[in-house]
This record gives sequence, structure tokens and C-alpha cells, in this order.
Amino acid sequence: MAKSRRSRRTLTVIVLVVVSLSIISLDLNGRTHSLTSGVKSVASSVFSPMHRGMVDILSPIGNFFAGALHYGTVQAENQELAATIGKLRAQEAEKGFENTQLRRLMALENLPFLQSLPTETAQTQDQYSSNFTQTITIDKGRSDGVDVGMPVVGAGGLVGQIIQSFHHTAVCRLVTDGQSKVGATFGQGFNAIVDGQGPGNDMTADLVPPHTPVHRGEILFTSGLQAAAFPMGIPVARVTSFHTGAGASQESITLAPVADLSQLSYVDVVLWSPAP
Amino acid sequence: MSARTAVRIAFVAFVSLMAQSTVLSGLRIGGVHPDIVWLLPITAALVAGPYAGAVVGFWAGLAFDLVLPTPFGLSALVGCVLGYSVGSLTSAVDERSAWLKPLGALVGSVAADMLFAVLGAVLGQQQMVQVNFLALFGVIGVSSVLLILPVHRLMRWALTGEGRRRSLVSAQAPSESALW
Repeated sequence: MAKSRRSRRTLTVIVLVVVSLSIISLDLNGRTHSLTSGVKSVASSVFSPMHRGMVDILSPIGNFFAGALHYGTVQAENQELAATIGKLRAQEAEKGFENTQLRRLMALENLPFLQSLPTETAQTQDQYSSNFTQTITIDKGRSDGVDVGMPVVGAGGLVGQIIQSFHHTAVCRLVTDGQSKVGATFGQGFNAIVDGQGPGNDMTADLVPPHTPVHRGEILFTSGLQAAAFPMGIPVARVTSFHTGAGASQESITLAPVADLSQLSYVDVVLWSPAP
Repeated sequence: MSARTAVRIAFVAFVSLMAQSTVLSGLRIGGVHPDIVWLLPITAALVAGPYAGAVVGFWAGLAFDLVLPTPFGLSALVGCVLGYSVGSLTSAVDERSAWLKPLGALVGSVAADMLFAVLGAVLGQQQMVQVNFLALFGVIGVSSVLLILPVHRLMRWALTGEGRRRSLVSAQAPSESALW
């Protein structure tokens, strides 16, 4: 009797493992991914309002502990932000005229410019829900025109790209995620692929020929080349270091994101889809 | 397993999911936040054995998979294997041993995260092994040791219906067959 119960339980555990593997293969298979995506979409529609309500109630507690843990950092950030705001105010006054001229030039050249593209402002619901991925969940989804592949900008530059879109929410993969790759351009028309390297690691620029002229602080913009995943001209990353090793086939460049990824309460989804 | 037990387990999983997505996700140390999901199969296995651990791990993992950007079903698979392994390895140990819960939480959570990352990478999610494992294991290990007691209390209530500390008369650990 006990032996039969034990074998039945062992069988159940084996069935659960097989079911898990089947669900994973359904999710990873391009043709059946819509099934699991549909289930996640329904779950997201149910979960989001409850999550939002709970966040309203519990976030002060979380903020209290987070603030207590990072008190020194928060204080330093506040001082830095105050200084930055002062600088930006001064720059804003100077840049007004230049911006008008630039817009006129771009209109003449008929160049795609981000400000001419429609955007949808979204609030971030959840950041870094997993320790293994760099993603944020936003409160806009398919019903707002937000779809997979659309770029997300905010906090000064490119934030990432939509990788999952549900009815009322969407998941954005940040540029620092290990799976993120962005076609970029810099300097005198040099091209590179900006690779995310995971949390806490510098981004890198790939496919840059050895001894390409570059300087620290130089900004890489999305290239917008044919069939690119992003429209051109969005600031992506800033060069933090570079060197060409002896005999290296490419220049080694490390980058930091231009967008402040710690300030993502609100972001803009660019309603632009890559060419099929 | 009775319907009432299933409802209580679902409630505990829901509370854990809410705590994770609202409070714990915001507590980032070195870019890593505590992860409560693995504590559910660990505590279920400690309370009611490997079978309960596997079943709770599967369903709790599946619930967390609904809101995670990682491959759907991966947490369910890891939770199931984790629950079964913890239950099997600790079946000969008295559940009331003082060291069992913290040690189970520490080793179980770290092993689960390692398995999760490796399986994710095998499934093509290379970014899952590009994390700072030292920080990850440190934060996950310490937070799991701190959280194991309240989660264990909740899971005991879910599996046995016992809300308070048992009296000396009923202080024997319930047998696996009595619960499931």
C-alpha cells in the first residue's frame, strides 16, 4: 500500500517535471509562444490592478527600508541632482536658439528625428522583477499601441526595447541587459554594436576597427541603418574607456548608458516599429 | 490534499508574490534583491516531505513565472526539483532541529538560483549567467535565512491548518502521509 503510494507520488513528480519542460518549450518556440504570451497577458490584466493597489499601500514601507539601506547614496544623489538641475537651467536658456536652427535644418534634410515620432508616456510599474534580467514593466500595452520591438526612451537617452506586450502592460528590456544589442554610430560615421553585459557591468562596443578615433565621453547614437531595430539619432551610451590591444582585431571600448537607469519612474515608448 | 489545503497554499503563494513584487523587489543590495519564491518549496518540503515540496514548488514557480520576464515554466521546473530535493535530503532529520530551517534556506536558495541561471543559459538566455554571482548568493542566502521563519510559519498553517505553536502533546512532527 505504502509502496504503491510512493510510486504514485514519484510518478506525479516526474509528470510535473515533464509538464514544466513542455511549458518551457512552448514558450521558447516561435510558433507556440503566443499561447504562453496569452496566458501571461491574462495574468497581467488580473495582477496589475492588485499590484498597483498593493504598491500604493506598501511602497512607503519598501521606500523606508530602501532609503535606510542607501541613506548615504540618496543624500549624495540629491546633492548631485540639485547641481545638475542648476546646470541644465543655464544650458536650456542657451540651447533654445540652437534647437530651433537644428529643427529647421533637419526638416530641410528630411532626416528622421525622434521628436517627429509619436510617443506614449508610460509609468513604470515594476523594475528588475528578476535578478537575472534587466527589465522594467510599464503600464501601457497593446491597447495603447505599444508593441514588441518598439524603442523606449527616457532619463536622457535610450532606455531599451519592448520585448513583451500584453493588453494593458508591457515589458521593456534595458540596454544594459545581457541580451540587448543596439546598432550605433559615432564620430565621423563609424558604426558599432552596443552590447549590454548584465547588471553592474559596463556595456561594450563591438565591431569597431582597431585604432578608430574615439574620445572619452563621446556619445554613441542609434544608427538607424536599413532594417535597424531603432530609429536613428537616439543617444545610447557614453564612452568610458577605450584601447586597442596588440594584435587585436577590434578596438576595445567600454560604455555607460546615457539614460539614468535609476530614474525610470516615467518613460516614453516611441511608437515606431522596425521594418519587417 | 484537501481543497481547503489547496486554497490555503494558493493564498500563501499569492501573499508571497505580492510581497516580492511590492516590497522585496525594491530592497536592492549590490543590484540584487531578496527572492522569496524558493522559500515556498523549501518550507513545504521541510513541513510535509519531498512530494509536498515538489507540488508546492511547481505551482508557486508557475505563479511567479506569470510575472517574470524569464522563460515561462523555468521557475516551476526549478521549484519542483528544489522541493523534491530538499524533502528527500531532510526526510531523515527531525523538523524541529534548530539548524535545519536556516541551513535548508541558505543551501536551497543558493542551489536553486544556480540551477535557474544555468538552465536559463542552456535555454539560450545567456544574460542569466552574466550576473554578479557573489552578490547574488550573498543577498539571496542571507535574506532567505532571515525570511525562512515567517514563511515556514505560513506554510505550516497552509499545509496543516495550525495557526499557533502546537502544544507539547501534539509537538511531534506530522507525518507526510497525514498531510498529503
